[in-house]
Amino acid sequence: MGFSFKDIKSKYRELFVVEKPRNEKDKARDLKKTVHDFWYGKPHEERRLGDLYVGNTGLYKHREWRGFVDTMYYFNMIWLYNYGHMVSDIIKYGEGPGALVDFLKGTMRYRWMGQTYLTAMHWFDRGLEGSRGETLRASAWHYRAMVSETVRQITRMFQCDKKIHNGEIPEKWNKTIAHNETLSGNIFYGFRDNLDDVPLEMVPYFVSVHVNNHTVLNYIDAAQSLGLPADPCPMCQAEYGLFVHDDYPDYSPVMLTSNEACDGSVATSVLQDWFLNRPLYAMPQPMRYDDPLVQKHCQKEIEGAWKFVEEQFGVKMDWDLYVKYAESFNKLTEFEWEKWDVAANTPSYPITGVAQALYRIYYSQAGDRPIWHEVDDRVRRIMNKTVGNKIETFPKTRHRAIAWSCAPLYYSHWCTWAYNCWGINCVINMDSLMFDQYLRTDTYEHALEDLSWFNEKAPMRAMAVGGHEHILSLFDYMERFNCDMVIMYDQLQCKGMQGIHGIFEDEFRKRNIHAIWVPHALPDKRTVSRAEIRGIINDYMTTVMREEPLDPSLLDFDDSMSW
Amino acid sequence: MKILCKFFFKLLKLAAIIYGILFIVFYYDLDGKFLYYIWEPFMVKRFDNMKRADTTTTPYSMTENVE
Repeated sequence: MGFSFKDIKSKYRELFVVEKPRNEKDKARDLKKTVHDFWYGKPHEERRLGDLYVGNTGLYKHREWRGFVDTMYYFNMIWLYNYGHMVSDIIKYGEGPGALVDFLKGTMRYRWMGQTYLTAMHWFDRGLEGSRGETLRASAWHYRAMVSETVRQITRMFQCDKKIHNGEIPEKWNKTIAHNETLSGNIFYGFRDNLDDVPLEMVPYFVSVHVNNHTVLNYIDAAQSLGLPADPCPMCQAEYGLFVHDDYPDYSPVMLTSNEACDGSVATSVLQDWFLNRPLYAMPQPMRYDDPLVQKHCQKEIEGAWKFVEEQFGVKMDWDLYVKYAESFNKLTEFEWEKWDVAANTPSYPITGVAQALYRIYYSQAGDRPIWHEVDDRVRRIMNKTVGNKIETFPKTRHRAIAWSCAPLYYSHWCTWAYNCWGINCVINMDSLMFDQYLRTDTYEHALEDLSWFNEKAPMRAMAVGGHEHILSLFDYMERFNCDMVIMYDQLQCKGMQGIHGIFEDEFRKRNIHAIWVPHALPDKRTVSRAEIRGIINDYMTTVMREEPLDPSLLDFDDSMSW
Repeated sequence: MKILCKFFFKLLKLAAIIYGILFIVFYYDLDGKFLYYIWEPFMVKRFDNMKRADTTTTPYSMTENVE
């Protein structure tokens, strides 16, 4: 098989050359404008970000030129900094360069690692597309924290993993607690200095879909290959598909599970109990979570989890440790409230919708870690600057949107596209508003009560499947965050949310609210593609809102094979 | 002193060349293209052909009565 010069030239054009639209080609070159665009970047309406993509891959012919300062910031402080820190984080969390060997072994053993996480910088690219100035900086720090915590979890899992150590038990295997990703890390604060906890599906499943959505399809298919039904929540399918596919690291002698977000997770727990074949403690939360009659029960479940860990590891739950970490976590909560306040009441909130949502759900689910505090300090400084100098961080905002229900994991960065294309600024979303609970530490009873409430306000439970009266709190939040538009996620395989569809339709009509329904199947892009999601928003914006796009090149493009 | 200056100048030149190459990799998304066209197909092939334990043969039993 030979390559002709013509083939090479055409491949080069496909991979690297941005074709200019005809009207641009005919224009005479304006040197002053070229210099201005080089230094400051093109104005929003002239960027044509859609022209930068290579076919249907989502790759860039070249990365966006954001102006000299922002491009150099992206290159030095995002691209180089994060590639470098991914390596140093492995050494830091693995307590030495030896961790790099385990990391390499894990990369070659697990599909979710080898195929997925090396593409992390493209995750940044997608989420930060079009961002400039302080928005670029603050949002990128959120991504940096998530990458660091992901590396911590991966490093710990690989250090303790029997599978990549020829079946031998590594030293830390007996000091690591495995738990469901929907069971909060807050539960284990009392053991933190003696044991470490790592959520089992957080990195192999949840985060992987955001970074590279190709991998998860294997797990969904593996689950269905057993004859298990294809219509439950695909999140639960993917979670137990990891086990069917034998692609879970064996890093702990125990497992603690939860029925969060819904009853689909009960099946996940049952299947995990089968596949793991080791001591397992199930810590279910009641569906009608705020019933006063269930509070004592929830608190007993937490005490039961502590007793289980004590018995299995021979380590006592340390109250002082719990207080130390809970109080530290409260500082994160306080800053979160500050962020909400700025997002709700000023045009100076410097964080993109996707960075806000993912960071919030990640840290509140994983629990207190030093990296969240480091990043919050940096973001606080940026936010003080934007608010103090009254910088309008999303100057092309036409609509302030709130996103409700659970998001498509393979297209959590839709909001970056929506702002660049239509000026829809997704100010806040449902996932960010959960876990809204301060943890008191003055007495054991108060601590247990608040910890219980915290877990009851977990993903989906508080505002989705936990009772219809809660999900309608959308309208209170809409008012609080000064939003004029709702992006209503429609998870096609969520029976709870499908059941309440009509009530929302009625409420939107009654209240005369612009709402765009966005169908999706959580991690599975095959059910509703990203292009279909964009098509729905485009249709609404042109036919109902009668608006023109800010960047027409983003209206219709093929990213079906993109990460 | 002259040798030391020469050494630092060479080091600076080398650093500048590496920095320039890295910028080209960044700007033209060469890292993404490498991962997409070379690394990922290689890993997919590897994982598709990997021998895996049949987890469905795991025995399912309860060691304690459910209260």
